[in-house]
Amino acid sequence: MPHLDLNNKQLVFKIVYFGPGMSGKTTNLLFIHKKIFDRYKGEMVILDTEEERTLFFDFFPVSLGSIQGFSLKIHLYTIPGQIYYEASRRIILEGADGVVFVADSKVDRLDENIDMYRRMLTNLDSFGVDISTFPIVLQYNKRDFKDLIPLGKIEEILNLPEDVLVTESVATTGSGVMRTLQLISKEVIRNFQLD
Amino acid sequence: MIESVAGEKSDLSINGVLTDLVGKTEALTALLISRRGICLGQAGGGAKLNSTALAALVAGMFSATKEVANIVGEEQFSILLQQGEKRHIHISLIGDKTMMVIVFEDYSRIGRVRLAAKKSSPLLVRLVNKDTEDQKDAMQNISIPDFKEYALNLIDRIFVIGEEEDASPRPE
Repeated sequence: MPHLDLNNKQLVFKIVYFGPGMSGKTTNLLFIHKKIFDRYKGEMVILDTEEERTLFFDFFPVSLGSIQGFSLKIHLYTIPGQIYYEASRRIILEGADGVVFVADSKVDRLDENIDMYRRMLTNLDSFGVDISTFPIVLQYNKRDFKDLIPLGKIEEILNLPEDVLVTESVATTGSGVMRTLQLISKEVIRNFQLD
Repeated sequence: MIESVAGEKSDLSINGVLTDLVGKTEALTALLISRRGICLGQAGGGAKLNSTALAALVAGMFSATKEVANIVGEEQFSILLQQGEKRHIHISLIGDKTMMVIVFEDYSRIGRVRLAAKKSSPLLVRLVNKDTEDQKDAMQNISIPDFKEYALNLIDRIFVIGEEEDASPRPE
């Protein structure tokens, strides 16, 4: 459910980039921030450690324009991927209208992808989210590496529905990044309904 | 019409209450922020702040503090105070959905800031609750099919897929 702010006449949707550590969540956001024209985007906030790992979250707002008198905004967040930041992840995931799960395609990261996806579903379920209708895009990132997890493997292990939305990407070059963003944004909008 | 704390009837708004608070405390600015990290109201122009980023950060900070409170056996810390060299921030929980941030410079006014924050809290809670009801009504006035169609067009126009996307298969 997006936030409707009558005082400022704005409708705000929240999209969270979720996934294991070092899978490319911040790289996705950095590319998006670089790619979008200045007039549509706000300043990017990055809270990272000395090792440039996300400590709390990365964030920036996008103003898409005005519809029926309301300014339509999308707030983009990442979560910290390291296993010990579970509390931070829960905080950021709460209230999300859609999630991009950024999977690390390297074959030796398969278990971490699976573990983190299950954690995400558990958290969403604990917020009372109906996972069967909640917008999620599974992004297989780092497709430029060797020894890749084959497409479909994560869905098969997690027994995800056949119509789950999947993209491939190389976030460092931007390949697949904007397509993923388009896909999740459209799903979030299509999923929008009045309670 | 909403009844104010003092009992008189007036056309109060969240921004109006914050403006009153800024005047009484001589604070630089005061903001009301939702738990989702969205700025619901702001008053005062003394500090040019990025209120969108500030709202996201404060909401995250307050949620993190709640986890800390739970670890030490408290349900919640209702007030956070950040003391800087020149500027200070007083953050207080307003009901269970929002937080108020007051940015001020003269630290000797901390007592006044606390008192004003405490006094305005019940009124802000009521105004937020009223806003929630108004928002439900306003939602009913939005034509969802038209909204979705226009929003999808905006997404196509602004989230532009460029040449770097060639390596990725089309999902649709």
